[in-house]
Amino acid sequence: MEDQGNNKTLSLIKTSTSSNSGFLERGRRIKVAAEMGLAESSRGRHWSRALRDRLLRRIGNGACGCQKEGLTPSKVAEDLVGEEGDDEVIEMARKLRALQKLVPGGEDLAMDRLFEETADYVEALQRQVNVMRALASLLGMLEKEKRLMGG
Amino acid sequence: MEPTRSSGAGSGNSGTYTPEIAESLRFEEEIQSLMHPSLEPPPASDGGSSFTALLGLPANQAVELLHEPESDDSLAVAAAKASGREMWRFRLRDPKALTLPSGCSPTFPSNAALVERAARLSVFAAEDSPEAASVPSHSGDRSPKPKAEPADSDSQPICPIPGERPQRLAKRKEADKGNKVKGPAKKTKSAEEGSAKGAEENTSGEKLPYVHVRARRGQATDSHSLAERARREKINARMKLLQELVPGCSKISGTALVLDEIINHVQSLQRQVEVLSMRLAAVNPRIDFSGLDSFLSAECGRVTVGNGRGGGGMEQSAWMEATVVNGGRRQPQQQQQQQQIWHVDLVHPHPTPPVWERVDSPHLIINPGTSLFGYDPSNSVVSLHSNQLKTEL
Repeated sequence: MEDQGNNKTLSLIKTSTSSNSGFLERGRRIKVAAEMGLAESSRGRHWSRALRDRLLRRIGNGACGCQKEGLTPSKVAEDLVGEEGDDEVIEMARKLRALQKLVPGGEDLAMDRLFEETADYVEALQRQVNVMRALASLLGMLEKEKRLMGG
Repeated sequence: MEPTRSSGAGSGNSGTYTPEIAESLRFEEEIQSLMHPSLEPPPASDGGSSFTALLGLPANQAVELLHEPESDDSLAVAAAKASGREMWRFRLRDPKALTLPSGCSPTFPSNAALVERAARLSVFAAEDSPEAASVPSHSGDRSPKPKAEPADSDSQPICPIPGERPQRLAKRKEADKGNKVKGPAKKTKSAEEGSAKGAEENTSGEKLPYVHVRARRGQATDSHSLAERARREKINARMKLLQELVPGCSKISGTALVLDEIINHVQSLQRQVEVLSMRLAAVNPRIDFSGLDSFLSAECGRVTVGNGRGGGGMEQSAWMEATVVNGGRRQPQQQQQQQQIWHVDLVHPHPTPPVWERVDSPHLIINPGTSLFGYDPSNSVVSLHSNQLKTEL
């Protein structure tokens, strides 16, 4: 996988330098980079590790054309939920399932761990968004200045 | 006070009671069978305070029985039958203490010997002598009927019947007495195990061999439900934390709605990341990287620029460089930021992911540890992966 990752990244680098890489393609790679940075920012976390694994796997698999691996069997949310009425349990289970899918690595987590990870993930996401927004506006200003200065 | 008392039932306070333990066990079963079909609470029991009440016999009869040394067996049986129920309670409260704390009814006021004998005859033989010895003081603390204490403490402690019974008793006790148990009733994680095992250890830090769990009315107090409850509380605490994180969530009540909000928030944040990355992609990447090499080697020894990779050169350094080149008033700021960035990177001896490094080494080389923004808490900046970012430029 490392070799594949290696090749993949190299090819990525090669393609990116050409100015005709599509806008979308660039955007996607930026997103991957951002998520990688997000994962790096909270290194010790379960979700961080899962996110990194997911990203690396995606890159590696992209090179060899593998399909995305199936999701690990998740704990049935019903187990996680305490006693409630039946309909409510189903509702709750659905929501928990959705949350599990959103949070990287959430599928293996039970309810209490899931909430912990979600809290940390939300914080990290918020920070990431702030940084990216600042960066985007900064670059935007830079560009404007450049243009203004006749660059 | 019989020293032998503490040494356990079998030690035979008098020759008559040598096979006491076996008897006690038998009596226990008898009691069980007797009790279960129908056993109303002893009449006239002021909280089961009187020994007579315990026995469930009219006073004189009980006295008679007690006074008859020959009728030990019958007395034991009677005591067992009648007092069984109360015994259960007391055992629950303090397995080691005598279960006749209330014992001293007016009928047998201070007849220590009688009480002792009655205790002896009780089915509950003490099993653990050392604990029994240590317990008397505890039982003294906690018995609801203090007057019986002094005598009782010397009486034969009740043997802790195997684990499950105290739990059943717990239920019944709770049903009977509601919230009568004060103070010691605490619900802690350790308490669960404590009461679950019928353990005698004092886990609450108070002078109780038993940790009481304040079960709410109608709720079971066995180990499973206790653990369940603790888990649920933990989950609720985490949920509250999440509520505080997500803006506008604290007003919402109800787990389902809160969950909805949380999910929405996470989704919106993820979408924002996507939008912003598109926005970044839209930024014109053509920045002048010419002066980068020297600049970088000066700033950060870890970083080397790939050859002929103008576009793929140093990410943020590139930008910063560009800014330095171009930006007028922005310069100081960016330089600062730059310093910060480099600083942070230098400070972090990144245990860089080997994959990245290997990936980079052949050609490019940005030390994967070099990030767009080092993590600087004061800025709450997040590191974007340099490698990828650079590829965009």
